[in-house]
Amino acid sequence: MPLLEVKHMTHFFGGLRAVHDFNLSIEKGEIRGLIGPNGAGKTTIFNLITGVYQPTEGEILFNGQSIIGLQTHEIASLGLSRTFQNLRLWRHMSVVEHIKMARYSKITYGLVGAFFDTPQRRREEKEAEEMAYHLMDELAITHLAGQIVTNLPYGAQRRVEMARALATEPDLLFLDEPTAGMNPEELAQMMDIFRQVHKEFGMAIFLIEHRLRVVMELCDRIQTLVFGEVIAEGTPEEIQNNPKVVEAYLGKEDIH
Amino acid sequence: MTAQTIQKSKNGGRLRLWWQSVWSRFDDVPLLGWLIGALVAVGLEYAVGRPFAQLLGMRKSPALFGFLFILKEPWLIPSAIVYVAVMTILPIAALAKATASFANKTATALLRASTLLSVAVHLILLYAILYIWCDILPYRLIVVKLTLIAIVITLSLNVVNGYMGEFSCSHPGFISLGAYGASVVTILVFDDPSPWLFPLALIVGGIVAALGALLVAIPSFRTRGDYLAIISLAFTFIIKSFIENLEFVGGPRGLGGQPNWASLPVVFIVTIIAIWIINNFVRSILGKALNAVRDNEAAADAMTVNTQRTKMTAFLFSAFWAGVAGGLLAHVLAFINPASFGLQKLAEVLAMVYFGGLNSVVGSIVGAVSLNLLGEMLRPLEIWKWIVIPLMLILMMIYRPTGLVAFKEFDIVALLQPKQTTKGEQ
Amino acid sequence: MTYFLQNFVNALQWGSFYALIALGYSMVYGVLLLFNFAHGDIFMVGSYIGFFVATGLVGLSAVGVITLPYWLILVLTILISMILTAFVGMLVERVGYRPLRDAPRASAAITGLMIGVILETLNLIMLGAERYKFPELLQTEIYELGGVSVTNKKIMIVFVSLLLMYLLNLFVMKTKWGMAMRAMAYDFAVVPLMGIPLNTIAALTFGLGSALAAAASILFGTAYPVMDPYMGVTIGWKAFVAAILGGRGSIVGAAVAGFILGFIEIFSASVFPSTYRDLIAYSIILFILVFRPHGLFGQEHTSKLRL
Repeated sequence: MPLLEVKHMTHFFGGLRAVHDFNLSIEKGEIRGLIGPNGAGKTTIFNLITGVYQPTEGEILFNGQSIIGLQTHEIASLGLSRTFQNLRLWRHMSVVEHIKMARYSKITYGLVGAFFDTPQRRREEKEAEEMAYHLMDELAITHLAGQIVTNLPYGAQRRVEMARALATEPDLLFLDEPTAGMNPEELAQMMDIFRQVHKEFGMAIFLIEHRLRVVMELCDRIQTLVFGEVIAEGTPEEIQNNPKVVEAYLGKEDIH
Repeated sequence: MTAQTIQKSKNGGRLRLWWQSVWSRFDDVPLLGWLIGALVAVGLEYAVGRPFAQLLGMRKSPALFGFLFILKEPWLIPSAIVYVAVMTILPIAALAKATASFANKTATALLRASTLLSVAVHLILLYAILYIWCDILPYRLIVVKLTLIAIVITLSLNVVNGYMGEFSCSHPGFISLGAYGASVVTILVFDDPSPWLFPLALIVGGIVAALGALLVAIPSFRTRGDYLAIISLAFTFIIKSFIENLEFVGGPRGLGGQPNWASLPVVFIVTIIAIWIINNFVRSILGKALNAVRDNEAAADAMTVNTQRTKMTAFLFSAFWAGVAGGLLAHVLAFINPASFGLQKLAEVLAMVYFGGLNSVVGSIVGAVSLNLLGEMLRPLEIWKWIVIPLMLILMMIYRPTGLVAFKEFDIVALLQPKQTTKGEQ
Repeated sequence: MTYFLQNFVNALQWGSFYALIALGYSMVYGVLLLFNFAHGDIFMVGSYIGFFVATGLVGLSAVGVITLPYWLILVLTILISMILTAFVGMLVERVGYRPLRDAPRASAAITGLMIGVILETLNLIMLGAERYKFPELLQTEIYELGGVSVTNKKIMIVFVSLLLMYLLNLFVMKTKWGMAMRAMAYDFAVVPLMGIPLNTIAALTFGLGSALAAAASILFGTAYPVMDPYMGVTIGWKAFVAAILGGRGSIVGAAVAGFILGFIEIFSASVFPSTYRDLIAYSIILFILVFRPHGLFGQEHTSKLRL
């Protein structure tokens, strides 16, 4: 059974068809890529699967269970985490607080614990903190633990977002253009982090990217989306040599 | 011109340096030391304050550090300064310094024994200080009680307006619901109530307020935007008008004769419990979720935070404490009427929250204490008080838009820590 | 039927007051995304300015320096107070809001509240607690129309209000400045880029809103002459709620909602005891807002009074 299965998903914004008959099947531990020109509907697909929007038609199964109609935080708790294209950090919170926050669904102490500082609460808060430090070590941001995220350089903010996404212990991680706005050096570092994280935690990754180099190097299989429709699917080599892709994507669109 | 400004800033710098050098002498004094100093100082005032004041030409001890004299009887200002220096500042400073090493050792021992014990000792000392200080002049008692209640109100509003980042105007409504709810229990339900009923009455007040909050929350949190601000404002008007039309609690004439149960220990204990619980809440992951919702709701949602439940819980929680504070207020004043829970109350409560600092328990304490004491101290200004205080707030908003001590965590254990003396000098 | 018509006339009168004040709230919200909590007190200031202008003109006429008929004094009073109050409004914007342009909007709401308190207190300090009475510039004449009694004052109030609303609409729709205001309401961030002076537009918006409040206050004074420093609070907050009901930032909405509020109040008072008036009015408005969160004519705004 695949980890995530999307069948015939179609979505309309008003009269505008944003996604048409989208199919996807991701196995455990696989790295998938989704490429396509600006406005092709890539982020919309993320938002549909993560429950931000409800698809007009189609089925979405996560671990064999339909997740259509669930709320975003419920889907996230099932093990589907994500990062955002334009960083969405909490501007008044410190790095360690960011990562602890992503443990929200694992908290069992409830309001009693929150109000009265029970032993259970102390234990769970401590576990969350330990987990946060472990992840910060992993992403080499431990020295920033107490800093407010707004003060950090862009690359570090990207890492914080990544650590936060990992803290939910996802089986599947959605990365929405995770290298956008990075210089080549940061990009290389980020690629290393992807590999390291994937190796360490073994979750599946579904990646939207603009930079072909990143997808080509990382992904097992790639889909190409144009105007909400998948025009090609295959291994990186197949995609690179697919004339449709070359025409629709490489040939005409201006990529960085 | 420039030379003058440089000179000025130099002077300012020198003054600050002097202040820092004075202050640095007290670096090794832990909280316990300050409390011991203050306790002795109020004991001293209790014993000889009155004759000393008369010696200085005053009828009685200055109630609030001599500030009441500034406009009423300005010729007494020097006496008041001497009085405050001799009775308050000098003994506190001297004792804090003298007992520093003892206090440090004790603080260490207490913390090692148990945090709870340390907290208890500090609280008992704090209570003793307040008790003796209030016992010297009855006027101080009411000021302290109202200030403590204001702390609870400010803190509870900060949960919504600061931590959650919404703009709620419904606090006067919640306070009045709590005040009336508790008063109904103590006056109307039981013929001959026993004081043990009081906690129950306060909780009833809190629950009534929380139920009111439910009415605001259900429509408000469905939509984003300034929606809560408006719904909550309308709610305040509705509650006021509703109570005015409720004959069995006296309608617009108000409700009086609450039993005199809100004594200093009761108010003190309730305030401490409120601070403790609210502080616990906002420091837990469940409470921090409020900040996440405020700063970016979509991200909070994607990180498994149940945003609706978070907002709802916090709003009801905030209303509950406002209601409890309202219950206390009713029993301190022994009279309440709907007119006192209108827009003026709203301005007052908002002022305390935004002056003290958003998203900060310390800020709320500072805001409530400073604006309350200031309100009392500026009493001699009479009506001009209502120019001075608003102006201060406007300046605060211009220069520090989030308030005096915003975005600070309140760590009780850190507060109780002994201060390390540097290399055993002095 | 006569009973209904009688109430209808009264509702039109009260609706005019609310609508004129609500317009000020709505314009400021629309253009600057601010709640101007001092607006009710600007209404009060307008009323006192009107009082002094009117008394002065009447006095000058009495001693024969100038000879003006009372209707002309009324017109002059309205115009002069509108201008003077507009300056008060601009001053409020300059002192209380402009320094906070980049601060969280909630902070600006607090300064607004505080400026309101200061205006009330200043009034008390300068004029004392004594209640002033607006001079009677228009002799009441009662016309009977099919059993409904209508006074010349009511007709004048409704007529002047509608005229002012029409002029405002003309201004906003047809002039360069009005267009700049609309552009700013549409997208605050882009306006400075297009060479529209943001501060001028902000001042203009406050000035216009305040002028309308002044007009409302003088019309109010002709019908209800007793004034006090807190007169702006009750009526101002009600008008604020009306502005919200109309849809934040919508001029037509504010006007319509002002009249609706007038109708709700008058008709609920005619059926229920008058003490229930506020309770019913606010409850109905709340009810409408639950189903139309963005007001009757408003568009969705996701902005928030945030940190």
